[in-house]
Amino acid sequence: MPEVKTKQFKSASVKALADSNIQRALGAPFAHFVEGRKSAIDSDFTEESWESMRDRAAATKAHTIERLDYYLDLLDKNVRRNGGHVHFANDAAHANQIVLDIAREHNVKTVIKSKSMVSEEMGINAVLEKNGIVPVETDLGEYIIQLAKETPFHLIAPAVHKTKEQVSDLFEKFLDSAPTDDIEKLCIIARDVLRDNFAKADMGISGANFIVAETGTVVLVTNEGNGRMTTSAPRVHVAISGMEKLLPSIEDVSLFLRLLARSATGQRITSYNSFISGPRVSSDEDGPEEFHLILVDNGRLNLLKDETLREALSCIRCGACLNHCPVYRKVGGHAYGWVYPGPIGAIVSPMLTGLKQGKDLPYASTLCGSCRDVCPVKIDLPKLLLDLRHKVVQSGAGAIPERLGIRQWHGIMKTRKKLEGKARLGRMFQRLVVRKGFITRLPLPVVSGWTKSRDFPALAPRSFAEIWRDDLSSGDRS
Amino acid sequence: MKVLRHLGVEVSFPEAQTCCGQIGFNGGYRKEAAEIARHFVETFEPYDHIVAPSGSCSSMIKVYYRELFADDPGMLERAIAVGEKTHEFSEFIVNILGVTEVGGVSTGLVTYHDACHLLRELGISEEPRTLIQNTRGVELEEMPKSDDCCGFGGLFSVKFPEISTAILNDKISNVEKTGASTLVANDCGCLMHMRGALRRQGSSIRPKHIAELLAEGLD
Amino acid sequence: MPTPVEDPNKEAFLTRVRDALGRTSPIMITPDHPTLKTTLPRHEEKIRTTKARTEARRSQNIARLESTAIAASWHMHRASDAEIAANVVAEIASSIHAKNVVRTAEDIFKRVNTDATLRKRGVRSTVLASGRVRRKEDLKEIAFKADMGISGVEYAIAETASCAVFQRKGNARIATLAPPVLALIVEESKILETLDDFFAIVRFQFLTNRGRLPNYYNFISGPSRTADIEQTLTVGVHGPGEVHMILLADGLTSLQP
Repeated sequence: MPEVKTKQFKSASVKALADSNIQRALGAPFAHFVEGRKSAIDSDFTEESWESMRDRAAATKAHTIERLDYYLDLLDKNVRRNGGHVHFANDAAHANQIVLDIAREHNVKTVIKSKSMVSEEMGINAVLEKNGIVPVETDLGEYIIQLAKETPFHLIAPAVHKTKEQVSDLFEKFLDSAPTDDIEKLCIIARDVLRDNFAKADMGISGANFIVAETGTVVLVTNEGNGRMTTSAPRVHVAISGMEKLLPSIEDVSLFLRLLARSATGQRITSYNSFISGPRVSSDEDGPEEFHLILVDNGRLNLLKDETLREALSCIRCGACLNHCPVYRKVGGHAYGWVYPGPIGAIVSPMLTGLKQGKDLPYASTLCGSCRDVCPVKIDLPKLLLDLRHKVVQSGAGAIPERLGIRQWHGIMKTRKKLEGKARLGRMFQRLVVRKGFITRLPLPVVSGWTKSRDFPALAPRSFAEIWRDDLSSGDRS
Repeated sequence: MKVLRHLGVEVSFPEAQTCCGQIGFNGGYRKEAAEIARHFVETFEPYDHIVAPSGSCSSMIKVYYRELFADDPGMLERAIAVGEKTHEFSEFIVNILGVTEVGGVSTGLVTYHDACHLLRELGISEEPRTLIQNTRGVELEEMPKSDDCCGFGGLFSVKFPEISTAILNDKISNVEKTGASTLVANDCGCLMHMRGALRRQGSSIRPKHIAELLAEGLD
Repeated sequence: MPTPVEDPNKEAFLTRVRDALGRTSPIMITPDHPTLKTTLPRHEEKIRTTKARTEARRSQNIARLESTAIAASWHMHRASDAEIAANVVAEIASSIHAKNVVRTAEDIFKRVNTDATLRKRGVRSTVLASGRVRRKEDLKEIAFKADMGISGVEYAIAETASCAVFQRKGNARIATLAPPVLALIVEESKILETLDDFFAIVRFQFLTNRGRLPNYYNFISGPSRTADIEQTLTVGVHGPGEVHMILLADGLTSLQP
């Protein structure tokens, strides 16, 4: 399991702000994501409005999550009827064991992988390596970060923070290739190495973008074609997914494909969509002899049992919330300390890995609401963040100076008399720090951060209430 | 106050008022926030209309009080009633009073910042622009990404000051691109935040609440 | 093939899920989901309407497929008969200086004789079906070294310029994946209007004759793309970078049978 670094969000975010590479990566490429999405939604022909699509998708997801046990059961029966195996993994360790058992049974030496966020939760690559099995990521972005030994920077563009020079260095170091700053050449270098692996690998591990309960079908959405390669060439295919990625019927898929492609990459549809319902049927065919689907809990029950937070399980991993979040756009993915960054990560990471260590994450938001506006399945992310903040406070995990400060504030705000009393005191003491009506240095705990970069207005010489009483009310008193 | 009276509204300032409770609510301190919010409801419910100068306070009252009082049906009903009577300042003028030209006079290029709660929770973006554009002597110049967050976020600005400042700097840079001499926003939090940076950077751009702009030149 | 056994952990897992949702017993009746609740005759009626609409709007669908495909970087060709189609394929091969191509063992090639037209230009065409002359491993190798792959399609969807490829037999998957250039022969009677139409048809096949549906089918909606390095678009990373659609006027009614 990869180390959980959610506790270090604050320091990691400060580091990220000072990193010019990360700041560059968070600029133009993301403007591209944002524009692309907008243009795909505005200019595209669809008979249904974007808002109507979002409404239907949100309803479908809510319906499915509320009956998750039913649909998981239906899915299990159908995949097995198609000849595939289904495994229910309680947590990451359990899921890793299942993969190892399958690998051992089939004498697997090399594994090729296409994108799976759950497999990152599991840290499957390190586990395979420890057991003498070589895993190779086939998604170009994931491959690059695999070489760099990093975690993904973004949900769908994992290596967006790497410059072409950095990629060239990585390839030179690990693949012995000639340095180049030609991006196309870099892609070809990767392609040749990966093609070699495709042809030889014993097992393919994929994720699942959607899983259809009714037909027992795993849907893979890619642009590169590595999803197809991973699930066609090797003898064994293992698909790993969070247990919440289900859709009831195959006829639900069209809506979600439309939403995902536009929200994630600004496309009408991605270049490849694979629909995998089981192993090959006869030996006269291409494709794996065996198909395994692993459905993973790993803490998702924590979200499921909470009626407010349950909504977070509707996420289709498009990355739109990240792209539009002012905080993510300043600190990037690594600062969030685990697999999932941005607004959705701020909710999912603490709930899956621990609220206490992740307690800063729900507060790492201005609650601007842009995420909620762009979420294709209408998850009310700000509402969930507020709920999590409440949970942090209730658990007693909030920082003590903050807690005291807030209690003080509320004490003052209880009655007008208290407020005016404290304001009078404030006016007396602020003379120590006020210059020309503003405070430029306020070395007090919690609030000192403000004055490092911004002036702070002093309390006005007369409060509005005083002005009202003395000058404005003209007899109208309440 | 000046603007509202100019438009013939009978205005009161209930002196018992303290705060809408958003800070506590946003911080996760719901019990404490509920006490403040209850005081707010009690103080303001006798009035026909409640006008708030901030989009964020307005959205707290109109939207989040339902969440805060979800388990208290008696309070919930009263809170909803108060919420329905509450309007942000520019919303009140344009949609309740039906006035699109206040009659004030000012000068220069003005740019407008879409405060997040005002825009996304309350859907208000046209009303303030209409009022600004109809002020004589003033020209509205849109900044790039006027709806990008200013980075304040209440507690966020002191909990994560570095990120807050980084977001703020982008906003200020967009403001400066307009060449405007005045920056208008309908939210005291955003204004305080942006003023904090403008002043620190020695900028000559003057941040004003929309009421301040509209009150100019009124007799 | 025997049905794989149920995971011994399944019951406990589902019980925990049920608990989390606040229920003590499993749901026994089909949930109120619009599609799942639809009766088979109603669905059959929907398919009939779909077929009629598709046939009635055939020329609009063709036009839309063409414009969407071009926007998605397909090269589009039109052939008024099978012979012309076979020649178009050979011309594409010539244009890329191909020496070796691979194709699937689909029935379309009985009508569109690409083997002949390619042979005339000195291009070798290998059918990816084992058991004839070659072993599977050899076929894989040949496919990975081929200059072009040719296949038919089950359907083509105008909304998204997606070719639904159902390769049911032979070692066909690799034909549309390994070579750097791909040519798909699309009979006009196979063109659908929307993704919804496609899934409605698939669902009908699933409900009425499950065995007919392959366990694996794909949409190909353009060239293989990546923007993973500095968000700069590159084509042809893991799949064909150049994709061709040859629309063949086949004179058949839409969606027959």
